Amino acid sequence: MSPGESRVLVVDDEPQIVRGLRVILTNAGYRVEEATTKKEALDSVSVRPPDAIVLDLVLPDGDGIEVCEDIRRWSQVPIVVLSAVGDERQKVRALDAGADDYVTKPFGSEELLARMRAVLRRRSEEGDAAVRVGDLEIDLADRAVRRNGEQLHLTPIEFDLLSKLAEHPGRLVTHRQLLHEVWGPGYEDETHYLRVHFAHVRAKIEPDPSNPRYVITEPGIGYRLQVEQ
Amino acid sequence: MNRMRSRPDFGRIAAATLETLAWVGLATALVALLDSVATPAGLGSLYLIAVLAVAIRRGQVAALAAAIVGVLVLNYFFIKPLHQLTIADSDNVVALGVLLLAALVVGRLAGQSRQRAAEAELRAEQAAAREREAVMLADAATALLGGTDDLVAAISAGLETAGRGELRLGASAAPHAKDAEISLRLPTEARSVWLYASGSATWTEEDLNRIATPLARLIDVAAERETAAARSAEAEATRQADAAKTVILHAVSHDLRSPLTAVRTAAAGLREEGTTPEDRVALIDAIEEESDRLTRLIGNLLDLSRIEAGAVHPRTDWCDLLDVISSTVSHIRDPLSPGRIQIELDGELPLVRADASQLERVFSNLIENGLRFSPLDQPVRISGGVGAGKVTVRVVDRGPGVPASQRAAIFEPFQSGGDDRRDGVGLGLAISRGFTEANGGELRLQADSADGTAFAVSFPLVEQPATVA
Repeated sequence: MSPGESRVLVVDDEPQIVRGLRVILTNAGYRVEEATTKKEALDSVSVRPPDAIVLDLVLPDGDGIEVCEDIRRWSQVPIVVLSAVGDERQKVRALDAGADDYVTKPFGSEELLARMRAVLRRRSEEGDAAVRVGDLEIDLADRAVRRNGEQLHLTPIEFDLLSKLAEHPGRLVTHRQLLHEVWGPGYEDETHYLRVHFAHVRAKIEPDPSNPRYVITEPGIGYRLQVEQ
Repeated sequence: MNRMRSRPDFGRIAAATLETLAWVGLATALVALLDSVATPAGLGSLYLIAVLAVAIRRGQVAALAAAIVGVLVLNYFFIKPLHQLTIADSDNVVALGVLLLAALVVGRLAGQSRQRAAEAELRAEQAAAREREAVMLADAATALLGGTDDLVAAISAGLETAGRGELRLGASAAPHAKDAEISLRLPTEARSVWLYASGSATWTEEDLNRIATPLARLIDVAAERETAAARSAEAEATRQADAAKTVILHAVSHDLRSPLTAVRTAAAGLREEGTTPEDRVALIDAIEEESDRLTRLIGNLLDLSRIEAGAVHPRTDWCDLLDVISSTVSHIRDPLSPGRIQIELDGELPLVRADASQLERVFSNLIENGLRFSPLDQPVRISGGVGAGKVTVRVVDRGPGVPASQRAAIFEPFQSGGDDRRDGVGLGLAISRGFTEANGGELRLQADSADGTAFAVSFPLVEQPATVA
């Protein structure tokens, strides 16, 4: 789907930020709609569902996290939240409430557009059998990972973790999501599994494991597969 | 001390009686011996010697008794008619009368001087006791002026020295006397203090009462001094905090204003019609860089205020230090000389318990600090290891090092090693240490080598969680 067909709802009550976002997103080819309150946002989403939402967490008539929860009751529209600097707890709450990703204010246009592409790619590229990132090829159908065509040997758990990231390239996958999907219910707090196994994954796939290019850590929150090398 | 004040006892009366009779008997024996060579009336003066001796040794009453008994004995045994208490010769009547009178006068005089001597002795003894108490109080006061934390203990120590270990003080609501101790509550205003004297001591209740008041005054004065000192220390702390706040406000307003000025100037430049496309790009870069600077400064101020308010609240979880540091490094922009950060960490460092995003703040401040002070052609190295029950990561730069005089203060806010306080860098080390300590770790400066500065972040080595394949 090209950006030109995607409608993005920007929910923020700060006129200068809305103006900046409109310019950035319009120039990138998105069609932009605006809402300045929680109520307006929910009305807009229910009347004419957008393709993605950019949501500020602080709104005059409520909390952006409540907006996420409300929308998630009946819609899977991708949500990128704008969160304040340094508030990791708030990010985690928003992600738990159903947000897909976040950018920290103040943000650069490139960072925001990369997030938008990642959350929209989920819909357009799902079902692809293989994901290519730089020199890396992750073949979801054959459960194989190749670098420059050379087969890498990952354990089943390592491959499962990597494929969970590859299913949504560029998008943040939280610790809870990974643990739930790979190990199953009841393992959501065993984050040390992730530390250990991702260290092994990196040792195998990264040219320089201490300076990862592919598997990026969002400290305290989750991991993402970096697609835009 | 009050031996003279004892009640009359029969032992002493009996001894005095016997001694009186002995002296009279001795005199009588001498009279009998000399009876052949002198007249009895003349020999009667020998009894004066006995009366004098008894007066000196036993006092007036005994002397009077000796005089009367002596005269009666003389009359009965030596004055005619013998063995009767009547007197034939009027000369002898006069002689006996004179003897009796002389004995009474001598006895009285001797007894009085004896009493005066005894009184003088008592006064001397009392004076010595007062002097000892004065020395003791002076010692206690000296101990107090020595400036000590526990004034009761100090005074007590002074008392024990001067009071020969027989006195002590204790501060408690109720007395806690040891065995064979008498206790007395000092009339203090400030707090309840008890004076104890051991039972074997020469201290009577009256003596204790006498020293209780000055001791209580001493303690009250000391307590007042303590309160005053505490109050002035509090005032000084408040004053210093106010001064620090002023310094911070001053520095912050400067640090905020300069990037704002740069942004405003760049915007004005963009508005000018004559600005070339190259200049426009440069001005846009300037706006982005200066806003990043503002963002970092505000982030640092928020971090610092959370740390100082004790509101850090780490979300503790298992952290892979290599992972955290890689992520940190990927977010650091080093536009002057990219690629200066060398990670030399063993991939197998044990996991530690901490808040990963706060650890990122710790390392980003340390690494940015290192980049700032290192020459542009020198790396900032990050190494790590396990030892002494700790997992330690070192951030080593090749900057000029930290002068010994500044090492203690380097973790205080706005104590940046240079004049360059841009981006609120003066806050970085304070934030690093604040977050490290809030996460149960330790941040130390290990800077003794000539080739730079090492900051060591340590976390306790904990039992690693079980992992499943």
